[in-house]
Amino acid sequence: MAKPAASLNNIVVCRRCDAVLSKPKIEPGQKATCPGCSALLYELKKNPMERTMAVSLAGLLLFFPAILLPMIGVSAAGTHNEASLIDCIIILLNTDYHIVAFIVFLFTIAIPIVHLLAAFYIAVAVHFNKISQSLLVFFRSYHVLDSWTMLHVFFLGVVVSIYKIVDLAELTVGGGLMSFVLLLICSTLVSVTLDHHYVWEKMEQALED
Amino acid sequence: MKTNAKAMGLGCCPCCHKVVKMQAETQQCPRCHRSFSVRKINSLSHTFAWTIAALVMLVPANLYPMMIYYTLGQPEASTILEGIATFIQFGMYPVAIVIFIASFVVPLAKIIGLFILMYHAKRASKLTVKQQGQLYHIVEFLGPWSMLDVFVVAIMAAVVNLGFLSSIEAAKGITYFGLMVVFTMLAAESFDARLLWDAQDQKPKTDDSQSQLNEAKSR
Ligand SMILES: [Zn+2]
Ligand SMILES: [Zn+2]
Repeated sequence: MAKPAASLNNIVVCRRCDAVLSKPKIEPGQKATCPGCSALLYELKKNPMERTMAVSLAGLLLFFPAILLPMIGVSAAGTHNEASLIDCIIILLNTDYHIVAFIVFLFTIAIPIVHLLAAFYIAVAVHFNKISQSLLVFFRSYHVLDSWTMLHVFFLGVVVSIYKIVDLAELTVGGGLMSFVLLLICSTLVSVTLDHHYVWEKMEQALED
Repeated sequence: MKTNAKAMGLGCCPCCHKVVKMQAETQQCPRCHRSFSVRKINSLSHTFAWTIAALVMLVPANLYPMMIYYTLGQPEASTILEGIATFIQFGMYPVAIVIFIASFVVPLAKIIGLFILMYHAKRASKLTVKQQGQLYHIVEFLGPWSMLDVFVVAIMAAVVNLGFLSSIEAAKGITYFGLMVVFTMLAAESFDARLLWDAQDQKPKTDDSQSQLNEAKSR
């Protein structure tokens, strides 16, 4: 029969297959995976808070040019038109595609901004040991939003659009696209640098005392 | 032989992954204060409802045009499949393949995949439970990528706007398509993958070689 685990702190449960496993000892930079279903159990990262702070702050600053500056434009027979991310949404609203406008706004602006803000706030708070109850809400929303950011998909959309437009008319590339690429890199790096396991353990310690 | 957390009366918080003893059907996580249960409540009915909703949206998404292209005042509407056919006509095979996979194969495959998963959560099957887990992982991973077409139409409608010369407008199909993608993502999210392993455990097993407390691999 299964022996009851000595302490709940020494075991991990796989979220995909529900297997109970003894907690593996890993070094920063290593990952622990489930032997049954190969899902990631947890990983330890190097300097998680410093890196997350830097990357998420850069991402937040890049948001303004990425949204407001024109990304791509076309010109043909003397007329020229260019559009930024926010223009895409405004035009959808003007043509009464409210649901689509909302979907685009939600997945390319609202969720990525809140996601980056949450990451930044958490990194700063944990780094300077200013952990409060409100941090729980932020980190929980960070988890929920993780699978709903679509900056990478939007970027592929821009690439496909460029490919389509090149045949139609002359194409110009604006500063918005460059900022967007950098923003995409920052937002991807945040998921790479932020160590969930580390943050939760820190918070648990801090909120217990 | 059961080594799963449910059988041991343990629960794993879906948010912060803390392992706790389950004292009630639903309880609050001591670390992140989120309330959760051993398995997502009514997981299958939620998944089923969202999948059906997505399936319903798939039909108008493919029948109605996604965008209307005006050249010199002449409108030309195209559905997803017509758009792909145009790309093939012009010999633009890479784009044709990307769009075909992203906006036709993937949405359909996701819906079929979800039905397969729901079926297997109820009974044991020929697919090994590991393969089912991978299928779930794929469905989950593909979720956001299907939004590609919606973004392309949004960008094209904003950029290609040269008045009488040529302009592009979004069309009805885009709303259904966007909703379909959101619904499949919600379906995947409400599906509790652990049910697949539960179904596996219910059928008589032949190999008892597994150790009680597996050692986790580290790499
Ligand atoms: Zn597992
Ligand atoms: Zn928790």
